[in-house]
Amino acid sequence: MTTEVLRTENLSRSFGGVQAVAGVSLTLHAGAVTALVGPNGAGKTTTFNLITGNLRADSGTAAIRGKPIMGLKPWQVARLGVARSFQDLRLFTHMTVRENVLAATETASWFWQPGGSTARRAREARADAALEATGLSALARARAIDLAYAERKFLSMARILAAEADIWLLDEPASGLDLASRTRFGQLLKDAQARGVAICLIEHNLDVVVELSNRIAFLDQGKVLAEGDPDAILKDPALAAIYFGDRPQEAA
Amino acid sequence: MIAYAANLATIVAIFAILAATLNFIVGYAGIFSVAHAVFFGLGAYAGAQVALLLIPDPLLACLAGAVVAGGLSLCLALPALRVRGEYFVAASMGLQMMAVTLFSEAKPLTGGIGGLVNIPRPTLFGVEVSVLPLALVALALILLATALLQRGAFGRTLQALRDAESAAEALGKNVAAAKTLAMAFACAGAGIGGALFALHLSFVNVESFTMDQSVLVMAMVIIGGTGTLWGPLVGAIILLSLPSGLAFIPFIPPTEVGAVQQIVYGLAMTLLMIFRPAGLVGDLSKGRATA
Amino acid sequence: MLFLQLLLQGLQTGALYALTAAGFALIFGATRIFHFAHGATFAIAGYVFLYFWNAGQPWPGALAAIAAAVVFGLGMERFVYRPIQRHEGSFFTVFVAAFGVAVVVQNLIGMIAGRGFASVDTPLSMANEVLPDVFLAPIFWIAIAVAIVLFVALSAFLTRTHAGVGLRALAQNPDLLRAYGLSSNRLSMLAFALGSAMAAPAAILTAMTTGLNEAVGHHVMLISMAATIVGGVGSLRGAALAGLMLGVAESVALQFVDTQWAEGVSFLVLFAFIIFRPSGIFGVAQTR
Ligand SMILES: Nc1ncnc2c1ncn2[C@@H]1O[C@H](COP(=O)(O)OP(=O)(O)OP(=O)(O)O)[C@@H](O)[C@H]1O
Ligand SMILES: [Mg+2]
Repeated sequence: MTTEVLRTENLSRSFGGVQAVAGVSLTLHAGAVTALVGPNGAGKTTTFNLITGNLRADSGTAAIRGKPIMGLKPWQVARLGVARSFQDLRLFTHMTVRENVLAATETASWFWQPGGSTARRAREARADAALEATGLSALARARAIDLAYAERKFLSMARILAAEADIWLLDEPASGLDLASRTRFGQLLKDAQARGVAICLIEHNLDVVVELSNRIAFLDQGKVLAEGDPDAILKDPALAAIYFGDRPQEAA
Repeated sequence: MIAYAANLATIVAIFAILAATLNFIVGYAGIFSVAHAVFFGLGAYAGAQVALLLIPDPLLACLAGAVVAGGLSLCLALPALRVRGEYFVAASMGLQMMAVTLFSEAKPLTGGIGGLVNIPRPTLFGVEVSVLPLALVALALILLATALLQRGAFGRTLQALRDAESAAEALGKNVAAAKTLAMAFACAGAGIGGALFALHLSFVNVESFTMDQSVLVMAMVIIGGTGTLWGPLVGAIILLSLPSGLAFIPFIPPTEVGAVQQIVYGLAMTLLMIFRPAGLVGDLSKGRATA
Repeated sequence: MLFLQLLLQGLQTGALYALTAAGFALIFGATRIFHFAHGATFAIAGYVFLYFWNAGQPWPGALAAIAAAVVFGLGMERFVYRPIQRHEGSFFTVFVAAFGVAVVVQNLIGMIAGRGFASVDTPLSMANEVLPDVFLAPIFWIAIAVAIVLFVALSAFLTRTHAGVGLRALAQNPDLLRAYGLSSNRLSMLAFALGSAMAAPAAILTAMTTGLNEAVGHHVMLISMAATIVGGVGSLRGAALAGLMLGVAESVALQFVDTQWAEGVSFLVLFAFIIFRPSGIFGVAQTR
């Protein structure tokens, strides 16, 4: 397939006695959507946290375009082109919608951003385009905390759009969306994919997975049980059994 | 009477500097320091020493105050990088209490309990100047700087890390650097206020840099309204006119005016939090802007 | 022998710190309210006792001190924290409100009782030589005994009674309570009553040993917060142990530094924990 941009090998992490992630190897490709599916507690979010540097891995490696990223701080990983969303969104609650998105375009930690007013106008344009694309333009001046559920989810996406990253790690961005919103969300992903963004999507709804993803990695108890073509994986009765919660032989 | 008004105006300007800089970290970055008087004190001692040992140049004194206070702000930035909320309040309160002991004991630097006396009048280019215009200019510059920072990208970064630190980091923001920088800026501002204070009174001692003083500055910020531009100024004016107002009330014995004043603003803080948490200047509909 | 002397003195101070800190930790653990006016509770109890003592009524004074502490704590819960939590109750709002009350109490005490140190004179705090060069006052044994009795009683209450178990559950998981059939309002009041009452004996014993001043609340708060953080938020045992440790550390340090630095020892311990182990001794990592 196309260029490989992110690769993890044997990522592992345990909490006390719980082996949350047990040797996960994943690759993400430019312009492809990889869906990360698996039952609750499978280790999906933890895998993201290990990649982004929010958690330290017990063992294993990860690299972006060949550059090792283990041990980097979250903001350093972000500056290599990784944008992520959070399962619990983590919006900047007391800022306006537009400020939330503008903040995503401003990464310098100094008193001011480089590039003067030209660069500032470019950032504002990027932020406004992200608002437009997510349908939030009319709400630009509302505070994030006052938004409705679906609007919050789109604001979280708008931040990612504005960040101009080429690797997206999305943690259940479509959960709880109605059909119309889901379609709009799908369009966002397809546009990004067309621009060559590598996307990893955590999603429980298999219809969404089938519609949007090129590949599936099936995670259970911290291990990738199967990886490959969506149709093939979703037809596998053993995986379906695990996914839908009746685990016939626990020991297996 | 004029001298009285000029003195009050100078003190108001100096405390407005303190309140505006404290507001910068409390209202925008959500870093709740009860140690602002420490940096006020560091600036005062540094400014006083410059005037005593070198020349009573107010600009040099302010520079020294800013550098010393801004540099030592790392003592407070360190815990701010590790913890937030309650934990940080505890750390800053401890720092405040420790600093008072240090100020009282480090006699060569601070003059101990007796303080530094006979600080020469400030002179600029050989002419003796009053501190009032200097303080007003400093206040105007600091208000301008905070306004620009607060409304620009840096202010957004601080608010972002206040509301959701991990999300700010995930967007590539170096949270540690931003916090340290905000802290250095606010503390350097307090240091400038301190240097001006020392030159104005020509005498400083540890009494002015205690927990009570930190509480007073905090009250100014809160009563004015955190996260607003004019709130700290309004708070400083109200709280500093309070003692003169109370002095006119006949049944308060003069020795108790200080205590009555503290009771009034203590009550004001509590009642505001119960009934109007955004402060006097703050927009009620926006609610409290601090996590 | 100086070391032994300081160690024993430290145990006495530490026992009082442990009581105060455990009260604060109990309230914080069960309600997540950062009760910054806990130092005010301590000061009120101490001064009420002083007042009765000077009127020649030590025993009624002790009861009145406990009652005053409980009433004040409940008043804070009912009239300050609960209204705030109803509309928002961010840490910031709660803290400032409590802070305001602490300022008011400190100054009222200063106005009514006068400023500066005040203590009671009692033969109980007369030191006797118990070993060569080691002096102990009867109050030492009283402080240790009171602390032990109260901690045993508290832990029995927390493990054996319905309400006590509820309090612990509240600390771990507020949602659990609905299932358990206890109102969280009631439990919150219980936490404030108990936590405040714990401060009273410490305040009385402090009045009988080192004495009080109107600003004692600051010191009490610093110790309570330090012990709670060092012990690990949510762990009563941790707070009590850390309080004891801080008392001993402050006292033993006197072998090397002058008294005015004693508080600095607690500060350094707190600072070190915040930088290197913010979750405390018994805490699970949860900040950040
Ligand atoms: N910070 C942590 N401390 C302790 N245990 C954790 C932590 N984070 C995750 N775990 C545990 O690791 C396991 C995997 O959790 P994770 O959040 O990665 O699951 P998930 O696949 O994202 O599930 P979900 O679909 O519910 O979001 C779970 O058992 C969880 O309890
Ligand atoms: Mg998850």
